[in-house]
Amino acid sequence: MTRAGASAPVPAKRWWTGPSFLIGFALTGVIVAGALLSYVWTPYPPTQMMILNRLKPPSATNWFGTDQFGRDVFSMIMVGARNSLAVGLGAVGFGLVLGTTLGLLAAIRRDGFLDNLIMRTADFTHAFPAVLTAIMITAIAGPGMLNAIVAIGILNLPYFARLARGVAIQVWTRDYIQAARAAGLDNVQISVRHVLPNVAGVIVVQATIQFALAILAEAGLSYLGLGTQPPNPSWGRMLNEAQTFMAVQPWLAIFPGAAIAIAVLGFNLLGDGLRDAIDPRLRRSR
Amino acid sequence: MLSFLARRCVALVATLLGAALVIFVALEVLPGDPAAVTLGLNAAPEALAALRLEMGLDKPAPVRFLAWISGILTGDLGLSYTYRVPVAQLIGERMAVTLPLALAAIILATSIGVPLGLLAAANHNRPTDAAVMIFAQLGLAVPNFWFGLLLVLLFAIGLGWFPAGGFPGWQAGPAAAVKALLLPAFALALPQAAILARVTRSSMLDTLQEDFVRTARAKGLAEPVTVVRHALRNALIPVVTIMGLQFSVLIAGAIIIENVFALPGLGRLVFQSITQHDLIVVKDLVMLFAGLAILVNFAVELVYGLIDPRLREAS
Amino acid sequence: MTTRRDLLAGAGAAALAAQLPLVALAQAKDSVIIAMTLEPPTLDPTSGAAQAIREVTLQNIFEGLVKMDRTGKIVPCLAESWEIAPDNVTYSFKLRRGATFHDGTPFSSEQVRFSFERAVAPESTNAQRQLFTPITEITTPDPGTVVIRLKQPTATFLYGLAWGDAVIVAPASAANNKTNPIGTGPFKFVRWNRGDRLEFERFDGYWGEKPTLAKATFRFIADPQAQVAALRAGDVHAQTNLSAPEAVPQLKADPKLKVSFGKTEGEVILAINNAKAPFNDLRVRQAIAHVLDRKTIALGVYGFDVDLIGSHFSPLHPAYIDLTATYPVDIPKAKALLAAAGFPNGFSCTLKLPPPTYARRSGEIIAALLAQIGINASIEPLEFPQWLERVFRGKDFDLSVIAHTEPLDINIYARDDYYFQYKNPEFKALMAKIDVTLDEGQRNEMYRQAQRILARDAVNGFLFILPKITVTAAGLDGMWTDWPLPITPLAEVRWR
Repeated sequence: MTRAGASAPVPAKRWWTGPSFLIGFALTGVIVAGALLSYVWTPYPPTQMMILNRLKPPSATNWFGTDQFGRDVFSMIMVGARNSLAVGLGAVGFGLVLGTTLGLLAAIRRDGFLDNLIMRTADFTHAFPAVLTAIMITAIAGPGMLNAIVAIGILNLPYFARLARGVAIQVWTRDYIQAARAAGLDNVQISVRHVLPNVAGVIVVQATIQFALAILAEAGLSYLGLGTQPPNPSWGRMLNEAQTFMAVQPWLAIFPGAAIAIAVLGFNLLGDGLRDAIDPRLRRSR
Repeated sequence: MLSFLARRCVALVATLLGAALVIFVALEVLPGDPAAVTLGLNAAPEALAALRLEMGLDKPAPVRFLAWISGILTGDLGLSYTYRVPVAQLIGERMAVTLPLALAAIILATSIGVPLGLLAAANHNRPTDAAVMIFAQLGLAVPNFWFGLLLVLLFAIGLGWFPAGGFPGWQAGPAAAVKALLLPAFALALPQAAILARVTRSSMLDTLQEDFVRTARAKGLAEPVTVVRHALRNALIPVVTIMGLQFSVLIAGAIIIENVFALPGLGRLVFQSITQHDLIVVKDLVMLFAGLAILVNFAVELVYGLIDPRLREAS
Repeated sequence: MTTRRDLLAGAGAAALAAQLPLVALAQAKDSVIIAMTLEPPTLDPTSGAAQAIREVTLQNIFEGLVKMDRTGKIVPCLAESWEIAPDNVTYSFKLRRGATFHDGTPFSSEQVRFSFERAVAPESTNAQRQLFTPITEITTPDPGTVVIRLKQPTATFLYGLAWGDAVIVAPASAANNKTNPIGTGPFKFVRWNRGDRLEFERFDGYWGEKPTLAKATFRFIADPQAQVAALRAGDVHAQTNLSAPEAVPQLKADPKLKVSFGKTEGEVILAINNAKAPFNDLRVRQAIAHVLDRKTIALGVYGFDVDLIGSHFSPLHPAYIDLTATYPVDIPKAKALLAAAGFPNGFSCTLKLPPPTYARRSGEIIAALLAQIGINASIEPLEFPQWLERVFRGKDFDLSVIAHTEPLDINIYARDDYYFQYKNPEFKALMAKIDVTLDEGQRNEMYRQAQRILARDAVNGFLFILPKITVTAAGLDGMWTDWPLPITPLAEVRWR
């Protein structure tokens, strides 16, 4: 699923002016800005219920309308962005740190015991349908944001482990590694000082893409009632609740979904843009 | 060659056993007593004990694990705690919804994604290409359950052409059943179509660079003929692979989509069973899903290993 | 009892006669498709607690010695009549002659004894075993008579015999009732497509009035949207209890449908752990009671008015009194009470919620209401098995929201080990007295007193009664619109 191999490298152009990156940057910017702003300002307190004002369509007073408890949907979506980003950060951070570490460890002795153990486990985790794993984890540990982060984080692990291992194995074959070894550095020191910097670029690109997937996964889990719990607003759960009122108040089902789509699209495009930037360097380094 | 096969097979069996163990242990940890769920708030302790005995919950865990594994091997999946019928029968009934749904989604995704990808490749760097890539980006970004909700909003609530959810059963006639499955199949197919469009496009572009295509062109064959006769076949190999690997994604999607559309399929069954603590069904279903995904991965790896000796060495 | 049924049947027959020229129409109208939300896990009401089992089988497939009518009154069924001896513990039932099971087995006193002994046998999985534990002896002097002796006078004994757990089953067929139920009722089991529908047909050998419906189908539609769609499209002719209250205005506007709002025995309460600090302090519970704005909660959950309660009692019962004004909404007073209890700034606690929509929505609103007086209740949603394990069995909770759907279950407050752990000797004594008081007037007076005690002690937050929203096709009559017992007797359903 890599980008079209044939798309010609565009070294002349500065990567941060590419359309993917620019659009991605703008979309994620909107989401991040909304999330940050929500700490200091929302039109209404997001959990304030005005039952008599329930199920109102979008208007000048409630821009995105109100839900079944008379809460302001716009405010809820702003705070919901916070939750989505937090889950994304947590889950990707978890997968990145643990996955990269494991990947680097595996690369030290290629085809050794550790390598096989780590890679088989990664394959194994990968083989489980993602949502199923998450459902099982939340069924055992109870639904909630933290458990959702762990569940999604575990799903992220194999991606980072495989990627880190793949790049690291190539790095280990280089001359300067031999030099480092001759200088008396041990495997871990070499991994940290020489291998990790070479792996970092690819990992960052992958992290952006995984971030988009994590937001999508969190929305799915929340939709099933397994993610972020009330009264914390969450886009996925808002959609779940909206479904009941779809015939009466269709707007409720439109806005949270659009927010998810914008966030995911934004991070995907951002990742594509970054990859365009990193790819040439990777090619050079090969 | 044979050692490669043998190694892979050992790994397969180990993975499957590992999966079974993980699932079993996970469900052992799950809090809640299935007997208490069946008998409700006022159940007497004697009744609970009797039911636990009947459900075989009194035996130690290792014994139950072995009994479960040998049951699977002999085709006996046990008796559902909730419905008191064989799990195999339950899975069979629900399969009649999920299988057609997944098939329909694959067919839809292929018939949308592949032609779009080819179209984009044929019009490389032109507006059509850009449009397809935008579609693909959107398809990947839109959560399929939200797309499902939008379809319901438009075609069920707005226009009234399709039911908003539920499944009339195949005995209500194929027309009604297909009608109930069409919207969910579309929702399930969207991200797959987007992925397939991207993969087809890049694979096609790669193939068009290859020597044999250039030769064909040099021979003066007309462009569409070149594309169809030579490039397409080769370009589709990675596409088919991706379709295989996307299988587990499709299953996962079905779990959510079946809940959106209230379809009595396997995905909803697994979700309901967890809710009702019907642990036998959960165990069997998760094993089924995981086993299928593991087998598909195995098959893909095997085929790749056979085609490409380098991979044999590498892994 | 017969008079009421006869009247109904007579009316139905007259209506049919009037339609005679429209033979085709009349013929098409002897079947009905009724939708319900939950599918029963099995079809045996004597093992398993699922409400849905009773909803489809009781008074359709299976019958008990007595039955409950739609007003909540106990009327004869397989027992034609009964006598209670002056000792108040000996019940003699005169059984219905000519009743048979669907497989042809004649009904007799032996099966009554079999059924009740089976319910308390060691291997029994009867969910309401306590209904039968007062029995010391069952004798069958002849096939038409059963004499039951109890340990002590038990006022609610007859009442319990109307429940699904006390239906009469036959020795030969009892073991298979879960999947192939055989009873004495007016309908017999035909087919069950799991996950979709359950089909019954009229039992021609029925001892009583033959139903006008020849065929009846229950369809299981869990999704609220799908329920609405099926009703509007005419795919189903009725929904026993609509789970999409938000669709009510839409359905009401449809001339092909009629919507009725009824009561149930389901008291929805904010359960409070009375044994745990700070909730063991009456002032804290009173403070909570003063912020529970029932009207707002009900509106947020349903979007329309439902019956509000001030104690643990259903308005369906004649002894019901309205105690909703015991602790009126009063935030300053609630704050003062909380301060007096030592929590001027409130405190934090958990609110554990089981899955039903009414519980989740009420819980969210209650958390917001409690926040007004500084009680920070963090919501913990639980699946039902976990709720049973942790809250109901483990008593590991602060607050929870749940409906108690068993009829006349105020006596749960007399159980020390019950999950909300209310311990009041005065109340316990009162319940013990009710149990042995056979005079209905006196008993009702004591029930009123019991309601007052619970309301005064603010044991739990008493919220509202689960509504029954019955939707039927305009021409369909006889569906139960109240649920003194949550069942759907098909024999009373007929087309106009």
